[in-house]
Amino acid sequence: MSAPINIRDLAPGTSVVLAGGAEAEIIDNPRDGIWLFARYLSSPRDPTLVGQEEMIFAQDVVAVGAAALGPGRL
Amino acid sequence: MAEQDARIERLLLRQEIADFLYREAELLDERRYREWLDLLADDIRYWMPMRRNIKFGEDEREFTRANSDINWFDEGKDTLVRRVKQIETGIHWAEEPRSRLSHLVTNVQVQRAEPSFAAPQEVSVSCRFLIYRNRVETETDILVGRREDSLRRNGAGWLLARRKIILDQNVLLSKNLTFFI
Amino acid sequence: MAVNARQGYRPGLIDLRLGEISREIFVNEDVYAQEQERVFARAWLHVGHESQIPKPGDYFVSSMGEESVILCRDRTGRIHVFLNSCRHRGMKVCRYDEGSTTVFTCPYHGWSYGTDGRLVGVPHFREAYHSRLDKEKWGLVEVAQLCNYKGSIWATWDPAAPPFAEYLGDFARYLDLQLDGWDGREGQAEVLGGVQKWLVPCNWKFPAENFSGDTYHNISHRSVDLAGIGPSGASRRDMGERDASRKLHVCIPDRGHQTIHYVLPAGQMPPPAYLNAPIVAEYFRHCEEEKRRRRGEEARMVGAPGEIFPNTALLSRQPRTMAAWHPRGPHQTECWRWFFVDRDAPKEVKEFLRDYYIRYSGPAGMTEQDDMENWNYAHAASRGTIARRYPYNYDQGSGTAVTDYEYQGLKVPGEVIDLTEVQSSEQPMRNFYRRWAEFMEADDWSQLATWRVNERKAAE
Repeated sequence: MSAPINIRDLAPGTSVVLAGGAEAEIIDNPRDGIWLFARYLSSPRDPTLVGQEEMIFAQDVVAVGAAALGPGRL
Repeated sequence: MAEQDARIERLLLRQEIADFLYREAELLDERRYREWLDLLADDIRYWMPMRRNIKFGEDEREFTRANSDINWFDEGKDTLVRRVKQIETGIHWAEEPRSRLSHLVTNVQVQRAEPSFAAPQEVSVSCRFLIYRNRVETETDILVGRREDSLRRNGAGWLLARRKIILDQNVLLSKNLTFFI
Repeated sequence: MAVNARQGYRPGLIDLRLGEISREIFVNEDVYAQEQERVFARAWLHVGHESQIPKPGDYFVSSMGEESVILCRDRTGRIHVFLNSCRHRGMKVCRYDEGSTTVFTCPYHGWSYGTDGRLVGVPHFREAYHSRLDKEKWGLVEVAQLCNYKGSIWATWDPAAPPFAEYLGDFARYLDLQLDGWDGREGQAEVLGGVQKWLVPCNWKFPAENFSGDTYHNISHRSVDLAGIGPSGASRRDMGERDASRKLHVCIPDRGHQTIHYVLPAGQMPPPAYLNAPIVAEYFRHCEEEKRRRRGEEARMVGAPGEIFPNTALLSRQPRTMAAWHPRGPHQTECWRWFFVDRDAPKEVKEFLRDYYIRYSGPAGMTEQDDMENWNYAHAASRGTIARRYPYNYDQGSGTAVTDYEYQGLKVPGEVIDLTEVQSSEQPMRNFYRRWAEFMEADDWSQLATWRVNERKAAE
């Protein structure tokens, strides 16, 4: 269970790690603290999402920055 | 001792400026408008911007700008004199019968004194106000906010050279602003 | 007449034959509730100006009747007006006055809408909704029709309402005076930053009828005339052009729009104005010349207070401002004021006019203050049981309007009364309330767009 992150001020270009292990790069941030527009960089559970641009919900963002590899990762 | 003296100078100046603001408030509340006008510098700027509800981080949008935007007030002495003249006609219906007013002035802070606190010629002072306006039978308005004033030395006294009024309202809750703030 | 205060609208509250109007229409709760359906849900309402939303993503929160709406420009540059309420559970999706955004997101459950109104973000769409929610059906409620008329934005919830230009009819020329350039070029107006918003304890129809063309209430403004706030230092405005003109009431009967209007004699320039500021005086003198050159006889038209049914007030000249009277219950109006200049007018002109506008109009305006005092207490005094039994008198000048008015070659369409000698009439109010009664009684636009029947007959 990760601590909540305020996504409001994350800059475009920032990577975020999502619940479920996917990683996405922020394309646009409407700065409402609730949504991000991001492109999937990796998606273990659903590889078809890679390269897709989607709206990411704040509650699904578990970490900011490149994901740590190895044990402890969700 | 020098530090003590400096503190005393500040204390005395703050009290002197606060006294000026209280006296000004009394003149307004007693409807002694001509005497109040005499406290205003000829080049006074009297400005009350409007306030918008804006998103966190977009503070530059909050206030309307002096000189270019529409504001509640943004005027000089000529217009202020005409407002007094209008009340003095006795047929300014929005002030006939006249309102009962109390200006409460508080949180007085002298922000700057040039060239010095000991011998100031220009003073910047902030304060907060609560203006209670009651008129006719039950009509009541309460206006609260902050003022940022510039005062200029005038002999033994002061003149108000600039007043910026920051009212804590968005949609104006009063039907009019027939009184000075 | 004895009145059962429990009833809402019924025919007879407006009696134009007698020139009497019941106080009920101002103070009755049921009439007010019916107005929201009959009038505000069907008419064209003024929302804002395109200069307030210049770039894609820009928005301005406005009001249509009682309801909060968002005026915005989407990513493609197209203008929309949406109901400011999430389709899920109603929370306002925008509680800022203005700004720029890519989406409108509801803070309650997170539904998010593009600036084109489409529902784009639904939290847990795949999981909780099993991807089954039809997002296309749940976008922001959009007005049925929108019109950008020379920069001013109008909207209606009623898909059956006539297009805006038809809704205006012969009144369009008066809205043109508001929005066209001082020099006669089309649509040059921009809105000065800052929309005034304030509350007045009266029914919205008090200001609406005042701006329809109250030529009788100069005594309200005697104190500001004495104080002399006009741009040449006297009165509340430059009176020279009015004094040289025929003074008219112009009513467009089947539309319910009306105005005071002035027409200069043929071949006569208006007297000099704005004498407190030589740069401004010279600018307007130049504009008048240009307007003559471009518009010919039309340049003889001089704007004055008017009203587009139901609640948009015009004033195109000294000061140049539009108002909307938003109903906030039968006993309260939220007044909004926009102020206009030509967008390419010199800085000194804009600043001079801005100073004038502020001291004239709005709650700090020395002229408007006295109007509001009267509206406030006229309304208050009309709420009582006994007061409500006694109608107001709207009989001034009944039966004196003509439909073929012409002055030195300039025709003025509509029902017109020349006020130059008689000083005043109440024709505009009769016109306004006749239309109001039509809206309250009509089940659909076939009963409201009566000009279509007349035009069909004329064609046959």
